[in-house]
Amino acid sequence: MKPAPTLLSSAFLQPAGQALPEPLLALRRQRGAALVDMPLPTRKTENWKYSSKYLKLTDEIAGSLPATGKTGSALAVPGYKVVFINGVMVPEASEYPDLNDILIQRFGDLSEAEANELAERLDSTLDTRTVQFAGLNSARFEDGLLIRLKPNAVLDKPLFIIHEVTASTSGSAFPRVFVDAGRNSQITLVEEYFSSGQEAALVNTVTEFNLADGANVTNIRLNMDGENVQHIGATGVRQQRNSRFESHCMGFGGPLRRHDLQVWLEGEGAECKLNGVVVTQGSQHYDNHTTIEHVAAHCNSEETYRNIAADKSHAVFNGRIHIHKDAQKSNANMNNKNLLLSTGAEIDTKPELEIYADDVKCAHGATIGQLDEESLFYLVSRGIGRREANVLLTMAFINELVAQIPVDAVKDTMQTRLNQFFDQAFQEV
Amino acid sequence: MATTDQEVNELIKREYEHGFVTEIEADTFEPGLNEDVIARLSAIKKEPEFMLEWRLKAYRRWLEMKEPDWAHVGYPKIDYNAISYYSAPKRPEDMPQSLDEVDPELLRTYEKLGIPLHEREKLAGVAVDAVFDSVSVATTFKEPLAKAGVIFCSISEAVRDYPELVQKYLGTVVPHTDNYFAGLNSAVFSDGTFVYVPKGVRCPMELSTYFRINAANTGQFERTLIIADEGSYVSYLEGCTAPMRDENQLHAAVVELVALDDAQIKYSTVQNWYPGDENGKGGIYNFVTKRGACIGKNSKISWTQVETGSAITWKYPSCILRGENSVGEFYSVALTHNYQQADTGTKMIHLGKNTSSTIISKGISAGRSSNAYRGLVKFGPRAEGARNFTQCDSLLIGDQCGAHTFPYIESLNKSAIVEHEATTSKVSDEQMFLCRQRGIDPEQAVSMIVNGFCKEVFKELPMEFAVEAGKLLEVSLEGSVG
Repeated sequence: MKPAPTLLSSAFLQPAGQALPEPLLALRRQRGAALVDMPLPTRKTENWKYSSKYLKLTDEIAGSLPATGKTGSALAVPGYKVVFINGVMVPEASEYPDLNDILIQRFGDLSEAEANELAERLDSTLDTRTVQFAGLNSARFEDGLLIRLKPNAVLDKPLFIIHEVTASTSGSAFPRVFVDAGRNSQITLVEEYFSSGQEAALVNTVTEFNLADGANVTNIRLNMDGENVQHIGATGVRQQRNSRFESHCMGFGGPLRRHDLQVWLEGEGAECKLNGVVVTQGSQHYDNHTTIEHVAAHCNSEETYRNIAADKSHAVFNGRIHIHKDAQKSNANMNNKNLLLSTGAEIDTKPELEIYADDVKCAHGATIGQLDEESLFYLVSRGIGRREANVLLTMAFINELVAQIPVDAVKDTMQTRLNQFFDQAFQEV
Repeated sequence: MATTDQEVNELIKREYEHGFVTEIEADTFEPGLNEDVIARLSAIKKEPEFMLEWRLKAYRRWLEMKEPDWAHVGYPKIDYNAISYYSAPKRPEDMPQSLDEVDPELLRTYEKLGIPLHEREKLAGVAVDAVFDSVSVATTFKEPLAKAGVIFCSISEAVRDYPELVQKYLGTVVPHTDNYFAGLNSAVFSDGTFVYVPKGVRCPMELSTYFRINAANTGQFERTLIIADEGSYVSYLEGCTAPMRDENQLHAAVVELVALDDAQIKYSTVQNWYPGDENGKGGIYNFVTKRGACIGKNSKISWTQVETGSAITWKYPSCILRGENSVGEFYSVALTHNYQQADTGTKMIHLGKNTSSTIISKGISAGRSSNAYRGLVKFGPRAEGARNFTQCDSLLIGDQCGAHTFPYIESLNKSAIVEHEATTSKVSDEQMFLCRQRGIDPEQAVSMIVNGFCKEVFKELPMEFAVEAGKLLEVSLEGSVG
């Protein structure tokens, strides 16, 4: 067996797709140069401790997947829709309004001046020292979506960004989204990731949000990529005064699933609510890393994540709350509960608090356990089949979070996928 | 209020009570570390061949190791060749047989520290194996212990007198390859305590050691090994103070506990080493590896610690729960003030069936200090029905300090249950108001509130320690309000 590479192969530093304005191409070159000889995470890399063994960045998947213009599935969505295939936008498949106060543009269509401004702001919401692979996206993105909401603009229906990967050959895709929400603007953004084809592929995403004073953004992320796709995603959020950010990260496992979510509460009165559900089975993996930076005083954060691991799968949660020195009167709550459905599955959780201000209320809780035998008995003794009782209780474990998803269509998709999961996980019960 | 402020200021300025240097001629090695030094050390101690080999093996391995840097602490690089690795009071050839023979200078030192050896001997029924720098100078109550069959002696004596026990257990819980500081300790450990409690014996008294770092520039490398044979019980107390000194002193101790079937070990620590002055100058570096192995069925190891001293504390008293139904406990109060840094916590490694563990950790940060809890709870695939409960609370006093929690929880068994809770808060204005309103001054009010916060841990301490711990907190917190 060949020893695993310790440095990022140079094959990953050759971006395709030159149809971008010059400032963005320049940014890409600059970020690429910074990644030369980037060490790959190992078991000793603290924030990849539990996941580095799943990372298989072979040269085979280094090349970009071809930007085909045909979408594999015609999705009907209850709202606006932007379709990306292999990281490149497909305008023919997208439907979104042309509004004065809400500008939705692909990176390729930006003017030189706009591109200049964007290039300066890309990566500003993520700490690339801890989110190593955000830099890779910046070095490789071939297209992207820029959404700008002018002050008081409200998008009336959710905007779906469909990220599809067609892995009929091996390769990688680098979707990129940047959202600039002006004062008191509102938007609901749904990101769905799925794939077709069977060849090994890598999806490396970055989504960034900037929330001006009083902006209100809801982000739903649903990860349904296939068993052949390694997914490394990052979401960065910067929040100003009295803004509100709500995130629902729903994901199903795969050979490697990694999502980094970083929220910076930089204006007084800012608030974020982060929900997450992860379901893994077989030999799947999923790793969520979240960081909430309480930079300003009087901010609230509320975080609730649930993991369910069946068979031989492996789910990881790492939540970090960092209260900066002057962030007095901060309120932070983190809760992570985990359900292990079989011996052989593994759950690792690390809820961290790092606090440098004294007048704060911070709490975190974490549990790992299994379904309660007594509850199962209660249901079974009332004539409910054992399998169904298992499903009911498992669903109850995450229902609180699934029910909170504000877009019904996503909730339905989630439920359909969950039912498939239950069918397999409780096959032998 | 003027008087109160003045009083508070005076309290803030009050210097460390236990800071003084005893003038005793010490037979000290030149600073430096190499194989010769280790051979000389071993020869002075008249150790058998296997011990020297063990030390050298550890030393060679240590040379290849890298000093860890992951802890949430910062300190200037340590020059290991600037440390002297042996220091003993003069006249090692005629070690005192009873207290009357002990150098009166030493006895005065202990008196200043408030360790009434005589009184303890008579009234409290505590046997004290007092370690002055590196060689045990006074051991009391050996005879009644011997009657019970309990071996309680310095580890150097144990190496000579009970080599088979030492060889069987030394390094089995903390191998010399374990970590950088444990490796260093294995190579150069100077002295420490050895306890063996035979089958079915309940140790008739609380065993206790007072550690003391004295000669300048001497790192102290204690090594403690406690073995509780089947069905036995032992409670061990460890407490320490150190004299005031400007240069940082390194303390890299290793404590190993082994509990066989149905055995119980209770290990309590009150640590009050010199924490450095109010500007963060000086103070002890306390880099300690403490670990217990519950290798027998139904065995139990319980760690209780009150940490108020040291410039830097870096230790994780841990339990390896291998035997079925074995129990691990960790109760901790860590208080940091001024520029102190603490990164402490525990590891509970559940390997056997129905093992259970409890972690209660209370961190208090004041001044500009930083206090971190770092813990690991791990359930192996065979830990059927294992259970853990963890609670770590932090209390912040003042807006310049930091409190952190880094718990690692790993589960590989579906029937294992773990619960973890953590909170962070400050001494609330309401609580202060309530106390002030009743005529309690702010110093005392804070001390009361803090004592209440730590109550869960204090009640686990042996009586005399609990009193001392409460006092210690009070003294350590002086100057944190006002």
